[in-house]
Amino acid sequence: MSDFGQALSVSASALRAQATRLRLTSENISNADTPGYRRKVVSFNAVQEERDGPEKVEVGRVRLDKSDLESIYDPGHPLADDGGHYEGSNVDLMIEIADAREAQRSYEANLKMFDQARKMSAGLMDLLRR
Amino acid sequence: MFTELNVFRMAHGMAFHAGQRQALIAQNMANADTPGYRGRDLVAFTDLVNNGPDRAALRATRAGHFGGTGGNPFDTEPVESKLPLAEGQNAVSVEEEMVKAVDTKRQHDRALAIYRSSLTILRTSLGRG
Repeated sequence: MSDFGQALSVSASALRAQATRLRLTSENISNADTPGYRRKVVSFNAVQEERDGPEKVEVGRVRLDKSDLESIYDPGHPLADDGGHYEGSNVDLMIEIADAREAQRSYEANLKMFDQARKMSAGLMDLLRR
Repeated sequence: MFTELNVFRMAHGMAFHAGQRQALIAQNMANADTPGYRGRDLVAFTDLVNNGPDRAALRATRAGHFGGTGGNPFDTEPVESKLPLAEGQNAVSVEEEMVKAVDTKRQHDRALAIYRSSLTILRTSLGRG
């Protein structure tokens, strides 16, 4: 594969990874009020598919955040125990929004790199034109 | 001038170097959120030309100079970033990569401009305007 081809495919893999991250973040945000929901976290890995090939980004296994669920006092809630508490989710909206924003920034940066590789390749092709 | 066309060879080397570097920068940028990843970069083209008497094979005595079958004289291996690698972190600076990306794009444009201009000179000298 040519260098430009490599650059494009690596950027594409990063775009995919960031999109997955954004999807998980929005799952977390939408389930912020679901009782018993644990937030999903994911880690990225660098994977070299072929020898001398580029290191693409791959999304690792989705894991659940094992931290304690929030205990909410609401005696009228159907899930409330004898003390009047029930377990909410362990989603912190502030963290999720910051994560979403970071994913967006990374997505934009990779999109820029994709566009630049495309432009450079187009410039090269332009040489053939008279 | 017409037997060696060094300017084309140099422009080719420069554009090739920019393309290679662009691929590496894209890779670094893509892995900016990967834990434990170490960014990579190429030696700058200027350094390659100035400091590599063996690599910058713009001499008539070099093998592969005529015909251009001896591969690219400016081919080089990537070197790893020297940024400190903290636990669970990675050694990629997005800002630095952005600057390098712009630099690379300009180098590529420059190389193509030189190539095109030389081509025009050749065409003119052939009388085809």
